[in-house]
Amino acid sequence: MKAEYANIFIRSAVEVFQKETNITMSRKDLTKKDSPVPSLPVSIIIGVTGFIRGQVVYAMDQSFAFEVAHAMLPNRLPVEIKKLSNSAVSEIANIITGQASIALAGENEKIHITPPAVLMASDLTMDFLEIPTISLSLISEIGVLEINIALTEAGGR
Amino acid sequence: MYRGMIVDDAMIMRMRLREILDKEFNIVAEAANGQEAIGLYAEQQPDFLTLDISMPQLNGIDALKALLEKHPDARVVIVSAVGQKQIVFEALGLGAKDFIIKPFEAERVLKSIRRLFA
Repeated sequence: MKAEYANIFIRSAVEVFQKETNITMSRKDLTKKDSPVPSLPVSIIIGVTGFIRGQVVYAMDQSFAFEVAHAMLPNRLPVEIKKLSNSAVSEIANIITGQASIALAGENEKIHITPPAVLMASDLTMDFLEIPTISLSLISEIGVLEINIALTEAGGR
Repeated sequence: MYRGMIVDDAMIMRMRLREILDKEFNIVAEAANGQEAIGLYAEQQPDFLTLDISMPQLNGIDALKALLEKHPDARVVIVSAVGQKQIVFEALGLGAKDFIIKPFEAERVLKSIRRLFA
């Protein structure tokens, strides 16, 4: 996988969090691993197809998801925010991946992204793709967001 | 007051769009995927709809094709995170009136819908 993919996702995540939640994210760690298996309990999985393909897996604590929903809809009651937490982080993951896909696709290519799927730690029995993965950690006042980028160019380009 | 419909698989995004549009328009329906949107459109006959692209069951591009085939005068504004040039051109070429890329400002959405009726 190209290392530049990591910078594209970092830029997208920082920009989207600032615009959608007014939360400032900054880069903490970047590691390599063999697959995008997440290490935090709430995961959002987005599939990517087209000239680049694979999976992007976002992961966080439940409290992080709650704070994101609260920041997106600040006037709602806590009980309502709790129900919206997974929808909020799914949408944020969708927007980050969408923004990144604009940079990855450039002028002439097209990349499709699947609707986000939410997985809780107790459900983590699914098979993740075995694609060399860059795992990013972004830190903020509400906690850590992990982004596992397992993307490869179709046809080995 | 013009009647609108919001189509997006993310509940939080439907709520945010409703909060923005409710100030000036009457939102009569919400759908969580393209298939549901086509059925609700026929039933409610809204004056406009906002349509996401990346959705389960029937995505926004296929829903746009199906909708405009049955209702050529439908006023559709795409509101999506998938803002790649090729996809924007495809949607506008099919007949969408505007393409708003998420994340968006509330005023951008209001201006786009107002323009449909100017």
